[in-house]
Amino acid sequence: VVSTQSTASFKNHEMDPFLLKKIPKDTVSRLEEFALYLRESKKERRSYVSVVKTVNVFRDLICTADWVTARELIKIIKCYCKYLPLSQSNETDVSNVVRRILKIIREENAGPEATNLADGISAFFKSDMKPSNLGRSDLQDNILNSIVELLVELDTSKSNIINMALEHIHSNERILTYGHSNTIRDFLLHGRRARDFEVIVCESGPSLQGHRMAAELSAGGIKTTVIADSAAFAIIHAVNKVIIGTHTIMADGALRAANGVHQLAMAAKYFSVPVIVCAALYKLSPTHLCSYDPDAFNKVIGPENMLNFSNAKLHSKVLISNPDFDYVPSDLIELFITNTGGHAPSYLYRIISELYHPDDYDLDNMCVETVEDEL
Amino acid sequence: YQRRVRGSYIALHSQIHSSCFQNIYLAGKSITEKAVNRIVNGDTILIFKKSQLILHILLEAKAQNKEFKVVVVDSRPDLSGVSSCERLTAAGIPCSYVYINSSTYIMKKVTKVMLAADALLANGYVLGPVGTAMMGLIANTYNKPVIVCCETYKFCERVQTDSILYNELADPDSMLKTLNAEESPVAGWRESPNTRLVNLVYDTTPPALVSIVITEIAELPCSSAPVVLRRGAVKM
Repeated sequence: VVSTQSTASFKNHEMDPFLLKKIPKDTVSRLEEFALYLRESKKERRSYVSVVKTVNVFRDLICTADWVTARELIKIIKCYCKYLPLSQSNETDVSNVVRRILKIIREENAGPEATNLADGISAFFKSDMKPSNLGRSDLQDNILNSIVELLVELDTSKSNIINMALEHIHSNERILTYGHSNTIRDFLLHGRRARDFEVIVCESGPSLQGHRMAAELSAGGIKTTVIADSAAFAIIHAVNKVIIGTHTIMADGALRAANGVHQLAMAAKYFSVPVIVCAALYKLSPTHLCSYDPDAFNKVIGPENMLNFSNAKLHSKVLISNPDFDYVPSDLIELFITNTGGHAPSYLYRIISELYHPDDYDLDNMCVETVEDEL
Repeated sequence: YQRRVRGSYIALHSQIHSSCFQNIYLAGKSITEKAVNRIVNGDTILIFKKSQLILHILLEAKAQNKEFKVVVVDSRPDLSGVSSCERLTAAGIPCSYVYINSSTYIMKKVTKVMLAADALLANGYVLGPVGTAMMGLIANTYNKPVIVCCETYKFCERVQTDSILYNELADPDSMLKTLNAEESPVAGWRESPNTRLVNLVYDTTPPALVSIVITEIAELPCSSAPVVLRRGAVKM
């Protein structure tokens, strides 16, 4: 499964005329507003907030667009996805939720006896995009009910994760964490209610998000120590476990995490300290790493936090790199704690086959279903 | 009697002076010669923060018209890599600059890693500025040779297996310095009973992560450190 880069959605500020035909005017303005929100997303945007926004926008689209069969609806949704800036690496949580919605539509269309496409080769040759017996209004009701269930799942995902804190944190432990993560902060604060432990936070330069995390943790009553990222190797042998959050989980169990997590995980592996990643399943993306280049995987941001622009002479002569993300291979990770429980990295492929449909892995691909198109 | 005292004073003084000259200055020159031989055209050399010896080696290699690039890896809070960059660009050596967080990102393009040591312990561990061990680990993972340059006067009889047993703490408030005007959220850490800032100065690199140590007497593996000490290489 390839993670493709489509620059068309950046240049194309006009919606596809096919889309404009199918959607009433006031919905169009809401869709354009959402696209603008994604384009202008700030670094501190909480992924949970944008995920809920996405579901609401797509729910709106499903209710008001002009469609009769599920196939038409999926075409409309995919057409809208081409208009959104989803290929920026910041937007994987939005893409994942869109894939969930598409899977819901396919499932409701296939009806209650739907075969899970992951079970068995024969399932590959069954088309589950046949027009269902249900008319549009019944199908729409079923889809909207499932979407409400999806919203409930998203809502409870964080509380499901943090409720597992007591299973993973013992008394008098020393836990190492990196930078800032809302999930990890709440996870540790929840553990603090019953256990007494220490947390060491890596600063995570150049953005220094670790300072914010340390302030929040110590305000919550946890003994916190802030260290520089370079000191991670020096102290990691004295740490019991490393608990980190991530931006995205790739399909093979690898991470796209904050810059500097890879070396932390390598140091942890060297001293056999377990690395535990807490993340909700909407961060699980069915994409693989195909290239380390900034275009395909990473994002390089401005170096003003690394070297002051007042040192202009140096800026003009030296190549300064400030990548935003880090690729962490799955063999460095011990456990994923998600809203459905704890999983080994090797199990994630199974979860992906349950959550997403293979035809939706690449949202730029307008194909609704490979089977019928080939037959 | 006074003439004899003055005579021995002069002899001691000249002995100290020549010992300094030999062990520090000439040793540096000898290491530079050996290290420059290891730099070939087309190399991308990674250095960590600032070290007079490593900079001297690179400047000497440039003076011998070798074509190579340098990646300077820097870390907070002291950011001494900036002055490394300044000296290298002044000499016309093409430079890149990253923080230690991005070292896995750039390590693929590097051909050699040259590190400086503050001491070489008797069990082969290399004591260097904090972050050196991390560079050694990442270089090993990506199969890049790690060259440590160290004069023999830095060899030490102490043994240490980890970095915390014996270390130094620098000023914790220097960690609060940010490059933009915003104040750090932990600026009031002294008032809060739960917050601590720890600014380690040194860390130890295990000998397995080091490919070679270049000293003025020979190019050695890390495990030869006790042999050098036994030979009494530092002769007064």
